Amino acid sequence: MPELQRNFKVKFNDFMKAGDVSIQIQSILKAIGFDPDLIRRVSVCAYESEMNVVMHGGDGDVSLIVGPKDITVHVRDDGPGIENTEQAFQEGYSTATHEHREMGFGAGMGLPNIKKSADTVEVNSKKGKGTHLKISFNVE
Amino acid sequence: MAESSTESEPVQYVEIDETRCNGCVLCMKACPTKAIRVRNNLPSIEGVCIACGECINVCPKGAIKAVTTGNDYLNGAGYSIVSASTALYPQFGEKVMPNDVLLGLRKMGFRHVHDQAYTNEIFNVAMELYVRERLVEMKSPFPVISSICPVVVRLIAYRFPSLLEHIPPLVTPREIVAREAKRRFSAKYGNSSEDVKVLHISPCPGKMICIKESVLQNNSYLDGAIGINSIYNSLKQNILEVKEDIVLHHSGGIGLGWAMSGGEVAGLDMDCLAVSGIQETIRYLEKIEMGLLHDIDYIEFRICTEGCLGGPFTVADKYQAKQNLKRYVRMFGVEKRVKYEYVKKLYEDGWFFTDQKKIPLEEKPPRISASEISKGIERQNRVEDILRLLPRKECGVCGSPDCRTFAEDVIDEKASLESCVYWQNQKRKMKLN
Repeated sequence: MPELQRNFKVKFNDFMKAGDVSIQIQSILKAIGFDPDLIRRVSVCAYESEMNVVMHGGDGDVSLIVGPKDITVHVRDDGPGIENTEQAFQEGYSTATHEHREMGFGAGMGLPNIKKSADTVEVNSKKGKGTHLKISFNVE
Repeated sequence: MAESSTESEPVQYVEIDETRCNGCVLCMKACPTKAIRVRNNLPSIEGVCIACGECINVCPKGAIKAVTTGNDYLNGAGYSIVSASTALYPQFGEKVMPNDVLLGLRKMGFRHVHDQAYTNEIFNVAMELYVRERLVEMKSPFPVISSICPVVVRLIAYRFPSLLEHIPPLVTPREIVAREAKRRFSAKYGNSSEDVKVLHISPCPGKMICIKESVLQNNSYLDGAIGINSIYNSLKQNILEVKEDIVLHHSGGIGLGWAMSGGEVAGLDMDCLAVSGIQETIRYLEKIEMGLLHDIDYIEFRICTEGCLGGPFTVADKYQAKQNLKRYVRMFGVEKRVKYEYVKKLYEDGWFFTDQKKIPLEEKPPRISASEISKGIERQNRVEDILRLLPRKECGVCGSPDCRTFAEDVIDEKASLESCVYWQNQKRKMKLN
């Protein structure tokens, strides 16, 4: 079965470029011809996780793997890691700084939104060791 | 009623004058839907044109013209009613008032002249009712996206179909004007509404979309549209000669302000944004598609910078016109002149809703099969393979707007890899080595 893989770099604190990866993912999925609603769900997740990397993660990379049956987005960063995963998935829980909030980010909706939009989310994170997020979608 | 076109022949919104064109690539590069190709030194439209007018604006030779209803409107073509975009009002300098413009139109020979500004205010109230209803019922998705700019609606339909459900199924003011004028006219004079023709005077070629391929309605109530520029001189002369003294203009400043960016949302008492210009519009639509801006109630998008005053058919400088418009707003005040209870009743009676409840907006596109997705994936991988051969100068000399589109054209056998000058050079170098 054919598979498409694309890798993208995300830079810590680069708010000017934040969101670009998500836009590129959007356009790839559109070009393939996926259902608009599925594309919207993937791009919500891509955007939220991209922002997480920009705000907290340190430098990271995003890889998109597309097959006819599923779409997977891997987001890896070498940041501080997530201390309490359960807490991180609660709506409104945020470790964003004052500056982030002033820019309109850090409402504590990142991971909750990802969970809502994706079919499965796996988090692999250890304090001080970075975070690996695996977000998957079923293509029906 | 205007006939919607059938699917076979794509509707042309622009015409290219081949004698003026020198085969540069500016129009092709400006096109937001990448619909233009320049082959054999001539541009042609091969993809979906959204009638934004960008190609007209950038063409240094003036070789591209928008297609409108044509100039036979005055010579007995049967256009009894004219409804003008409020962008027309501030085109004639600071001394000319909206009522003067409407009287000038009458003097030009249009039997019935309707002031769209008043309908704009009615529409503002209806939109508030619509958005509040959604807020109460927690009906997502937000933000609600304004349906006023037809080019934005068409752009969404082609490039952001997942956002179609953000567009309210309400009939736009220009269509309401036409619909009601026809109704009233038929009731008064007894002719069937087919005999009554309504002509729109427009700042942009985009209004032709509503007439020919409306996304929001089955059929447009408008019968034709012509550009402000095509009647400008004649109207200006007629305004000077007006002797009649009746009141045709009824709106306050809010309804008049619609022609500038931010004018529509100025009449909405809610959390709004106004975005204008094609690049900004695309950026914000991408953001909405990523789930951002959902805490905003309503967004006004206008393809033209500064709103309708920046339309390709306007005559006055858009910033000057904006000043005139602001003067009107101060003069006529920001208080709405429509009665809330009256509009609410109309709203509840369904007066504002489009004639088609099945709205393409709610119709799900057919799900694509796994084998089609497989083909799509293979195709994108081939695109990447070709892109690796190209230097990514994005020059457009090959005749496609950018390297990625060129690669797609090569796969679709619409272009040959040989038409990339850099690829040819590279091949030559490889041979030499």
